[in-house]
Amino acid sequence: MLALQVLINGILLGGLYGLMALGMSLIWGVMNIVNIAHGALIMLGAYVTFWLFTLWGWDPFVSLPATIALLFVYGYCLQRFLLNLIVRAQLFLTLLITFGVEVVMVNLVRIFWSSDLRQVTPTYAGANFAVGGITIPYVRLWVFLTTVILSVLFLLLLEKTRLGRAIRATSEELRAARLTGIPVAHIYAVTFGLGAALAGAAGGLWGMLFPITPIMGGGLTLKSFVVAVLGGLGTMMGAIVGGLVLGLAESFTATYLGPTYPNAISFGLLVLILILRPTGLVGRRA
Amino acid sequence: MRLASRRVPLVVGALIVAALALAPAGLSPFLVQFLINLFMLAALAESWNIIGGFTGYASFGNVAFFGIGAYTTAVLLTVAEWPFALALPAGGLLAMAFAGLIGMPILRLKGHYFAIATLGVAETMREIVYNLKITGGGTGLTMPITRSPLPFFYLMLAILVAATLVNWWLSASRFGYGLIAIREDEDAAMAMGINTAFYKTVAFALSGAFAGLVGGVFAYWITFIDPEGVFRVIVTIQMIIMAVFGGMGTVVGPLLGALVLASVSELLSTQLVSLAELFNGLIVILVVLFMPKGLAEVIRKREFSLKKLARNLREYRV
Repeated sequence: MLALQVLINGILLGGLYGLMALGMSLIWGVMNIVNIAHGALIMLGAYVTFWLFTLWGWDPFVSLPATIALLFVYGYCLQRFLLNLIVRAQLFLTLLITFGVEVVMVNLVRIFWSSDLRQVTPTYAGANFAVGGITIPYVRLWVFLTTVILSVLFLLLLEKTRLGRAIRATSEELRAARLTGIPVAHIYAVTFGLGAALAGAAGGLWGMLFPITPIMGGGLTLKSFVVAVLGGLGTMMGAIVGGLVLGLAESFTATYLGPTYPNAISFGLLVLILILRPTGLVGRRA
Repeated sequence: MRLASRRVPLVVGALIVAALALAPAGLSPFLVQFLINLFMLAALAESWNIIGGFTGYASFGNVAFFGIGAYTTAVLLTVAEWPFALALPAGGLLAMAFAGLIGMPILRLKGHYFAIATLGVAETMREIVYNLKITGGGTGLTMPITRSPLPFFYLMLAILVAATLVNWWLSASRFGYGLIAIREDEDAAMAMGINTAFYKTVAFALSGAFAGLVGGVFAYWITFIDPEGVFRVIVTIQMIIMAVFGGMGTVVGPLLGALVLASVSELLSTQLVSLAELFNGLIVILVVLFMPKGLAEVIRKREFSLKKLARNLREYRV
């Protein structure tokens, strides 16, 4: 029975990891940018949700579209006016500039909103229900369902719409995409905006389960990266599978080995997968 | 001709070191502390430069070696009651050995994968130290207080000089050329008969050794260390910023970077620590945009006009 409970916990958490990694994988796959600021975007999403909740009393689930919209605009501007300037430079430089963006974001948040631990606590935060001896908190379940809905919506957008096709075309061949009349700079910015929106949504949901601080993003960047690599880069399904794998791994090791080494576990998984399956769990590329 | 051109910087360097060695006599305690901090940052930047600059493997986890050096020295001093003169080299050696061992698997990774794997090493190291008993866990370790800052001043200076000399040696030696060849094109380097795995591992171990030594001196200098204070991501960030800002893969670049950043950070951090870090972040962004080859290159080519600096943008924008 304990094993089943741990399994459920792992899946519920894994959905959120999947959502985080989706944004990272998208930005990486399309523009070849490893976005170190991804965790900072998650952090920003968490704070937006927190402030909407604290100042105006907006329910965190209701305010999610607002968080998503704000983060999209923020991400769009970041790519359009800053990252686009350097996007075709060598990998190290794009990685480094997002590193700089992360440091700036984290410290601005620190200066304006302080380093205090904060929490989003709607009235139903502690409520849960039991099915056959397994306890499931409502919030965790709803968070999981929301991540599923958002992931499906995002995949549909990418696969079925004209915009999605433009993004995929740009990802495959920049020059050819430009020749066919795709506004590449705009598409890049939209892509980053979408990645930021996914991160923001993940942050808003994260804030309902865990405390929020300005420096929460560092570990989450590492996790998003691990999940994106676990699943196989650029494959969107991979991010979701990877998220579930990491969620389950953390849940099981925390129960059976103790909760003291969360990062060591993500890192161990990463190295293992890089050695055993360099293309990821569902990746195909040779 | 080549020998002469290499002798000039050596003489200039020796003069600067001699002046610095005499400096504490005439300086205020505040300035002595500032110089120790500057030497520390510069030595870390030079140590990062060996693996990140010359070899082209951007390590985002060098703070792990710094931390290992700091903790080994501190544990040997307090728990085993070794003299500092033995504890410090032990810290450096352990950091070097760890860098070599962990380097063997992770130096097979490239680019982003290597960067994040090293980030993971640092995070994991922090967790391990946090959970060990001998390191004092989350509460940290306290060392006996030394009255005079002078031993730390000379030790840091000595480590900095050694690290700079190693970089200087790399800039014109068979081994250094091997590293540069790996940076430029690893497959080609291998095809030319360079034992790339060996070269990379040695470079990583060298980098780790210097970071470990600096960590050991740092620990005794500030007399109290805890996992959150030692394994700070910002330490790695600073190493990278200083090297990139000054010029990666050059000898004087990291020194220039350390001088500028330590000075400005010192001025700003009297106001607010977050402000100094914010400034670091802004510098990274601006350097990547306008002078990715670093300050040393800009000075060497005397390209100070905005137009020249913006050329980088024209090349890489979409």
